[in-house]
Amino acid sequence: MTDAVTKNDFARMIAGAAAAIRSQHAMLSELDCAAGDGDHGATMLRAVDRLEAAFAPGGPEDLKTCLENAGWNVLGVDGGASSSLLGVFFGGMADARACEGPADASGLAAIFEAGLAALRKQTKAQPGDKTMMDALVPAVEAMRAAAEGGKSVGETLRVAAAAARAGAEATRNLTARYGRAKYLGEKTRGHEDPGAASVGLLFEGFYKGFQNSKGETSNA
Amino acid sequence: MKMKKFINKPENIVAELLEGFALSHPSQIRLTGSHLVARAVPKAKGKVGVVTLGGSGHEPGLSGFVGDGMLDVSVAGEIFAAPGAPRCLEAIRLANYGAGILFIVLNHAGDVLSANLTMEMAKREGLNVKMTLTHEDISGGTNPEDRRGLVGFLPVYKVAGAAAEEGQPLNACFEIAERMGRNMRTLAVAVRTATHPSTGQPIFDLGDDEMEIGMGQHGEAGTGRMPLKSADETAEIMLDMLLKDLAVKAGEELLVIINGAGATTLMELFILFRRVDQILKARGIKLARGKVGEFITTQEQAGFQLMIARMDAELIRLWDAPSNAPYFVSR
Repeated sequence: MTDAVTKNDFARMIAGAAAAIRSQHAMLSELDCAAGDGDHGATMLRAVDRLEAAFAPGGPEDLKTCLENAGWNVLGVDGGASSSLLGVFFGGMADARACEGPADASGLAAIFEAGLAALRKQTKAQPGDKTMMDALVPAVEAMRAAAEGGKSVGETLRVAAAAARAGAEATRNLTARYGRAKYLGEKTRGHEDPGAASVGLLFEGFYKGFQNSKGETSNA
Repeated sequence: MKMKKFINKPENIVAELLEGFALSHPSQIRLTGSHLVARAVPKAKGKVGVVTLGGSGHEPGLSGFVGDGMLDVSVAGEIFAAPGAPRCLEAIRLANYGAGILFIVLNHAGDVLSANLTMEMAKREGLNVKMTLTHEDISGGTNPEDRRGLVGFLPVYKVAGAAAEEGQPLNACFEIAERMGRNMRTLAVAVRTATHPSTGQPIFDLGDDEMEIGMGQHGEAGTGRMPLKSADETAEIMLDMLLKDLAVKAGEELLVIINGAGATTLMELFILFRRVDQILKARGIKLARGKVGEFITTQEQAGFQLMIARMDAELIRLWDAPSNAPYFVSR
């Protein structure tokens, strides 16, 4: 199989996501100062360290176990709701049957859908509430649509990254209705939600990391 | 204004503060496992264990209340951030003495999420855990889900912890915690911001001549920003809102707690308490018990939380029961 995601491809997607967060963590903390306590960048740095650790060389060889470990590791970040939600998301991916073998674009979408389904059991937040869901839901939906449309894995990840970024950007004009920021209400308008911005970076990194693994040229 | 705090590397704050806390109270508490705060001498088998979780930076909350007669284990998170479910699960296992575990959770998004995940994991392991949520901050509106857990955790830890110590079963401890929770109300006021010890940034802005009633523990906006008022006026406004919300009637007995936010002096807190007592007397309401001090702080934030709770004979007895928790010694 050429156009399929193996455990090693996924490891490079995670590495790409970690690089994206590391390059922008100061911006994430700045966004968090507007509506939270300014530590979101630091939390995300710890989260991506632990994500990468789950995929480190010498660890388990199957994607399912790596994802289970990744979820558990991120839950242990102790960074409040953001790290718990991300932990649930990555751990939930392990529930997808598609992670038992190399996944094609449709299988990859199924893996991300399983993560989103696990997340939805823990939060009632919907797109429009100014949370990470504003970036995550459109990204996963875009993945599914691209896969159904017969797109390659790389192209599927590219449209997902674009949808996540657009979703994050749209949170600028929203009012927070969940988490600590909801108590700030209208004061949260005018700033991107830090959780959504993080999801945008993660998906951008998944795409770039996957491109690196396949040696394809990026057209993003 | 530049942050002035005696800290070392920001990433080591939580580990270092917990170490110092344990070293300064070796006869009452110890650190165990992944930095869990537990009793120095574990409770006898056959009794209910009591566990809580919460972010750091609010000392002595919440770990200051681990000790005989109160909590068994406290899970401290990062600064202002809930600990994750894995360490909470470890705490629940540690506090399992064969009679079940009561898990006391303050209503804040991150804490509740971690607690819900912990409950799922604990149930999968067959652990007998009941969770009680404290949400008594009336500034959150009328929907209980929107009311945050403030200093009301203190009476809940105390009465549920005492019930567990007496050997009451899990259902009874849970019922006592819930009854305490239903009968308490808190309102906070802030007059000056704190700086986040890791980032050095102020956590909110408040004008020099302003105060904000309803401000949350982390600078979450409240309901009423107004010009700074005197102690008597502030106590009157806040107590009036609390008495109305709890629908307190003449002849009832209240526990009153005034909790300093970190930079408000005991001098001020006592002046406030004096006015609260005057108002209660004038309305024919009995002050059953009172407590003034710092139980949950937010760094050098200035302001205080005023809590009232309707007490019955059993709740008063449990409130008076002995405890050796470092920040709630009672004989």
